[in-house]
Amino acid sequence: MAHARARSDTSGAQFLDPRILARIDNLELLARTVVNGFLNGLHRAPHLGLSMDFAEHRAYVPGDDVRHLDWKLFARSDRHFVKQYEAETNANVVALLDVSGSMAYGSNPEITKLDYARFLTACILHFSRGQRDRVGLVTFDDGIAEFVPPSARNLDLSLHTLARAEASRPGALRPSLLQATERLARRGIVIVVSDFYEEPDSVLEALRLLRGRGHDVIAFHVLDPAERDLPGGDSTTFEDMESGDVVPVIPTRLRAGYREMVEQHVQTLLERCTAERMDHVLLDTSQPLDHALFRYLMIREKKARSR
Amino acid sequence: MPLSFLIPAALAGLAAIVIPVVVHLRRRPRSKAVPFPSVMFLERAPIKSEQRRRIHYWALLSLRAVAVILVVLAFSRPFLTDDSSLASAGTGPTERVVLLDRSWSMAAGDRWSQASAAALEAVSDLGPLDRASLVVFDQGGEAVVRSAPDATRIRAALDTIVPGALATRYGPGLKLAQTILEDSELAAFEVVIISDFQRNGWSGDEGVAFPEGTAVRTVSVASGEVDNHALAGVNLARERLGERERVTPAARIVRTGGAEAREVDVILELDGRLVQTRSATVPPFGATGVVFEPVTLAERHTLLTVRLPGDALEPDDAYHMVLSPGRATAVEVISAPSRGTSGDLYLRRALEISDEQSFALFGSGSVIPDEGSLESRQVVLLNDRPYPAGAEGERLRRWVESGGGLILVAGDRGRWSEEFGDLFPGSLGGTVDREGERGERLAGLDFDHPVFEPFRDPSQGDFASARFYRARDFRVAPGDSVQVLARFDDGSVALAERRVGQGRVLVWTSTLDAFWTDLALKPVYLPFVHQLVRYASGRNPTIEAFTAGQVLDVADVAAMESAGLGAVAEALAAAEERVALTPSGGARDLVTDRSFLALDQSGFFQIRPPGQDEVRPVAVAVNVDRREAELDPMDPEELVGSVGGTVGTGAQGTQAPTADALRLRREDQERRQSLWRYLLVGALGLLVLETMLSNRLSRKGRRGGRHARATS
Repeated sequence: MAHARARSDTSGAQFLDPRILARIDNLELLARTVVNGFLNGLHRAPHLGLSMDFAEHRAYVPGDDVRHLDWKLFARSDRHFVKQYEAETNANVVALLDVSGSMAYGSNPEITKLDYARFLTACILHFSRGQRDRVGLVTFDDGIAEFVPPSARNLDLSLHTLARAEASRPGALRPSLLQATERLARRGIVIVVSDFYEEPDSVLEALRLLRGRGHDVIAFHVLDPAERDLPGGDSTTFEDMESGDVVPVIPTRLRAGYREMVEQHVQTLLERCTAERMDHVLLDTSQPLDHALFRYLMIREKKARSR
Repeated sequence: MPLSFLIPAALAGLAAIVIPVVVHLRRRPRSKAVPFPSVMFLERAPIKSEQRRRIHYWALLSLRAVAVILVVLAFSRPFLTDDSSLASAGTGPTERVVLLDRSWSMAAGDRWSQASAAALEAVSDLGPLDRASLVVFDQGGEAVVRSAPDATRIRAALDTIVPGALATRYGPGLKLAQTILEDSELAAFEVVIISDFQRNGWSGDEGVAFPEGTAVRTVSVASGEVDNHALAGVNLARERLGERERVTPAARIVRTGGAEAREVDVILELDGRLVQTRSATVPPFGATGVVFEPVTLAERHTLLTVRLPGDALEPDDAYHMVLSPGRATAVEVISAPSRGTSGDLYLRRALEISDEQSFALFGSGSVIPDEGSLESRQVVLLNDRPYPAGAEGERLRRWVESGGGLILVAGDRGRWSEEFGDLFPGSLGGTVDREGERGERLAGLDFDHPVFEPFRDPSQGDFASARFYRARDFRVAPGDSVQVLARFDDGSVALAERRVGQGRVLVWTSTLDAFWTDLALKPVYLPFVHQLVRYASGRNPTIEAFTAGQVLDVADVAAMESAGLGAVAEALAAAEERVALTPSGGARDLVTDRSFLALDQSGFFQIRPPGQDEVRPVAVAVNVDRREAELDPMDPEELVGSVGGTVGTGAQGTQAPTADALRLRREDQERRQSLWRYLLVGALGLLVLETMLSNRLSRKGRRGGRHARATS
């Protein structure tokens, strides 16, 4: 938290404070502001990564497209060569956003987990679209709620869908991701934004479905600070926002154990995701968005290098 | 003293002690639920379930549990058993009824103080389970205190009770005591009768039977001979002087007791003012009379009182009357012209002989009065003459229909024409001679009819001695308005009546002189003629003085007329509000639905509609029943024997207590101690304390919660 506070004090970065971003109704504006501000802060070129990399020359054979002839080389060598490029073009970047009831929680009334996830998703989609990627969006709870197929033209639709997303129904990760897997035929980058309130085995089983289809999976684990620290005093009754179950506890006596269980859960997910070659990023809704974006870029760069 | 429970089964309610425990454990965490994303980690926490099963607020739980225990104990009706009290149950708790005579004879000497002391003594030894009632009686009975568990109320009541103005009648009081005993659930019954046991209050056929085994104890306060002088009555000789009347009061004084003649001053008061004083010498166990100077009755409702000096028994030392002038019945006697006045000699003399000038005789011939004169007559008596024909007959018919009374004495000449046949109760036939020298007698007299009702008692008049040698045959006309009042031995009609309009027509088929009958020579002749004329007039005899204990319906015009209040009877009956001032100075509202005035005090009751300040209020005189002055006592054992009681104090203390007796005694002990009240109050206090403590802990808990969130 101290780190987040330090970052929010820096010039420009204040726009990345989730509580300030929550006041911007237009998601597109928000995403553009965040991404541009974030990139300016990095002093990096706006277009990272290569979408059309030159590979080699080969001898022209009849039937090749004459537009690909390297005329300069022909001038030097009087022979016809054809330029060959990397086969892959723009990547599919699809955000899978959890809109189950638990995402509506927010200890700070200004921003819920869903709000934070919404901002993050908007920023990533905007950023990805700037990279000429095809962007898509899937919202899910116990099944797919909204599906925006990845496309170069679907950024606005995705942002619009994001803006309308509401968290109310109980969630189930595996059936939702199974449906998404079936509908995402082309490999790409899949960003799963959720609070992952399921057993690690169940979470990994669901994520493994995506990974098994060749997607690069990045799991953004969004948690509210209160979720990690258990609110309440001497005697508090907690009601599950999805199942409605009521559990009376004495938080003062339970808090330490609870923290340990949450940390254990997060740690388990991190380790298991890493072992499965998936990325797991824990996000605290009190942290600025640039932290999440930075993590995302690092992962993208790492993946690009590894490719 | 060990603790017992009247309803031990209620102790099963102690099982309810688990209720606060369960509530404590189950409801304590039911604070307002806080939404939380997921409780998967909370449900997993072992410390949670442990915490829920632990009781945090032992003080709260203890308060609630103790409150429940107190409530359950209260419902089980605990009490501290007093073994000595139970052992003394004997035959069980006793229902004791103290009958206290408050007739006015109890005011003699120190009888009342003795009686009050005896009543106090009778309830002084009440056991813890005993109940006592106080019944006062005179002509009626009244349960002043009924089945009280202690003597406190009886003692308080005795401070307020004084002898009244009514006479002694044992029946009502004994009957009320019988009812109390029959309604009682207690095991033993005891009756204490405190009285001077006057014989004239006991008839022997009161029909009272106390429950079997009732112990009757009598306390007689009769203190031997009482030298009492009393006014036995006041007679009034009336004399008409024009429009005014003069009355000559004559008082009769009797004395019971004494050894020597006593000189007393007898006072006459008119409207409360002393008018005359006469001295009289009253011999021991004797009587004397005092005649006052005539006084003039100028106004209606004159209050007359004759007084003797006070003695041991004061209520009978005064005699009150209300007098009004002009109450004589105006009678027009019309005889046959040929008979003159000699033919109605007996009749006229009979009507003239009246101490109180009850009748005013008019007419000296055979002429029917004119219309104006008829208006002032109440009765027209046609003696041995025909009913007038033509205009005179019509005039007489109209007068009868408007309320006049017509008596036709048939004689030899009595008859009426066909046109007036509907005026009479039948038709007259020829003369019938009765058998031999012995003649006929009156046999079938209707003693229920007002004419003969005063003669129901043979001592009041003997019609059987009168002989009737001749009478007219009479055939009764059919109709509801016709009634035969007297018949001869052979069944023929002697006297018949017909109601005509508001008036009455009576036909006597013989004569009222000494020609056809010797009735005029018999003692019964005079009261019979008086009663016949009085009935024909439609006027009830005026009651100048009532006896205490009677009731006057001020809304009943006829009753008020009898009371001498005819002039204001209709106005009083129509008034929605009436007020009666009692002789003691109190006031009684006589509203429409409560028009009965109980004349229960001696003196003058004054009645008037409220707000009307009459110059001379309407008054009713009330005197005590003179028979109460006869203080001859009866043997109390005679009374005890007739009500089925056993003389003595009952069988107490010697028998083993019955189950019912023990049960009742336990109930009584519990009721006296009433521990349940304290238990309920204690439970209430604990619940209040619990509420305060609970609120305090709740506030503390909320503060703790906020603090925890702030620090997190």
